[in-house]
Amino acid sequence: MRRIWSAAFALLLAGCGVQPSEVTDGGTAPTGVAPGVTLYFVDEQGALVPSERDTGRLGTIADALALLLTGPGDSDLRTEIPSGDVTRVTVTVGEDVVELRVPLAADEVTPLGTDQIVCTALAAHVQAGGSAEVKARVHFTLPEPDSDALRTCPLTE
Amino acid sequence: MSRRPLPRGLRARLIVAFALVTMLGAGAASWASAESASDALVDSSQRRLTEDFAERIGAIAPTLTYPPDQETLDRLRAAVGPNTTVTYEDLRSSEGPHADLITDELLDAVGDGDRIATQRITDDGPWLLIGAPVMITAPDGTRTPSGIEVYAVRDLAEVHRQIAALASSAIGTAGAALPLSVLVALIAARSVLRPVRELRDTARRLADGDLDARTPPLGADELAQLAVTVNEMAESVQGSMAAMGRMQADARRFAADVSHELRTPLTTLTAVAEVLEDASGGMEADAAESARLAITEIHRLVRLVEDLMEVSRFDAGTVHPRLEEVDLAEAVRDSLRARGWLDRVETTGPETIRLRADRRRLDVIIANLVGNALRHGAPPVRIDLSASETHVRIEVTDHGPGLSDQALPHVFDRFYKADNARTRTPGSGLGLAIALENARLHGGDLTAGNADGGGAAFILRLPIGSEEP
Repeated sequence: MRRIWSAAFALLLAGCGVQPSEVTDGGTAPTGVAPGVTLYFVDEQGALVPSERDTGRLGTIADALALLLTGPGDSDLRTEIPSGDVTRVTVTVGEDVVELRVPLAADEVTPLGTDQIVCTALAAHVQAGGSAEVKARVHFTLPEPDSDALRTCPLTE
Repeated sequence: MSRRPLPRGLRARLIVAFALVTMLGAGAASWASAESASDALVDSSQRRLTEDFAERIGAIAPTLTYPPDQETLDRLRAAVGPNTTVTYEDLRSSEGPHADLITDELLDAVGDGDRIATQRITDDGPWLLIGAPVMITAPDGTRTPSGIEVYAVRDLAEVHRQIAALASSAIGTAGAALPLSVLVALIAARSVLRPVRELRDTARRLADGDLDARTPPLGADELAQLAVTVNEMAESVQGSMAAMGRMQADARRFAADVSHELRTPLTTLTAVAEVLEDASGGMEADAAESARLAITEIHRLVRLVEDLMEVSRFDAGTVHPRLEEVDLAEAVRDSLRARGWLDRVETTGPETIRLRADRRRLDVIIANLVGNALRHGAPPVRIDLSASETHVRIEVTDHGPGLSDQALPHVFDRFYKADNARTRTPGSGLGLAIALENARLHGGDLTAGNADGGGAAFILRLPIGSEEP
């Protein structure tokens, strides 16, 4: 009788603790490391092409855009974004939209140049572990009608 | 362990059973709820810890150089928190006293996959192990392992404490139900035990002879059915007893009627016998013998009918003693003298004993006892008289063979004859039965036994001052 009671009591206590378990899945693995950043420039045929820049780390979207605004350097590629002294871009990452405030007027940048900005920002966002469904909105210092529409990178469509 | 005696009473057993059932029910319910609550608690804290782990890595990962050097691994490890290990190929950064709790199973799971793996262990306390590879994501979303793996050990002691608190509150709840269950058990026991007690009282009254005892059945449960059955049983017993009583009364009335009806012809017969006796002197020898035989049988028949009538009167309860002051020694002497037995019986005892008795019935008893002793026993026959403060004692002994063990319990039965061969003795077979009834009528008693010398001994005890029978 006593054995039955103590067994029942042990069962009661055992059921009420933290139990050891097998290895279980804990979700998607974290990401964000990269040997460099991907910038988008225009080649001789006038097409957008990705270009790896070996920075040693992925960095932020703002870092990537700053590098983009600095220009393609001495490569075969060109940029459709006018170079200026200010390369600082303010980036706000929302749930569905990445807001980009660029130090440029809307009429200074061609549509291809805008695509360069959008593709570079979204690529950095995805590489840092962000969602591929996110869109970008570019805010120019002097906007034009529809210049702040939601955009996606034409290369990833 | 010495075994305690189980409670015997219905009430105690009911209370124990109720308490056990309640404790089991409440315990099982609280245990189940505590179990599911603790599962949810473990799940949620595990998820929270894992999410925190992934967020910390995701936040610092873009700032890490790749391929990483030792310093980078140290930065990553510091960002994830204490008890963390970070590896990349041959490099390794580890910190914290519990960082080495990581199991091989977890290492395998992380090395093979591209997802976070978790495992709970209880090694000196509950721990959550989290491991994950850090991935490289291409701009188009494809993922490849970077080779960096992060392992963290998180303490679940706080969760364990919360679960223990849940369990103890569950036990407390079950315990709180105990007094309530005892109360309910008491009420239930009352409702069951009251009809049982009433039934017991009824059964006892029936056993004591009160055949009118009944239990009114309450409700329609099994106990009420039992009460109905007991009532039916009592009804049936009462009916049988009444029928038996009627039959007995009929039999007695028949005996009384028969003996009464026989009396008138017997009176005539007696007169004829007297005539015959007077005339027998002039008869021839054979005829005189026949006449004498007929006369003897007629006397015997008269005696039998008289005894039968006497017994019938006792049975009918219509006998009342006429009590008067009696000198015992004188009464005994009168009895013996009337039958001519004075010189055959030795009487001892004080002369001064007086009692209140029915003189005629006392004479019947003494004549019967002495007559039996003279007929069946052997001389000398003795009568010993003695008296205490309340009773007189009359002992009649003979020196014959005494009473056999078979005969002893039956000597006062009606028509019992110890010796079946001697059926033609002058006795009616009712003498001792009538003597016993007469003794009881006086409030006394008559017992049979054997004296030390071997003969039969009959002891009559009568109260001295019996005012009423």
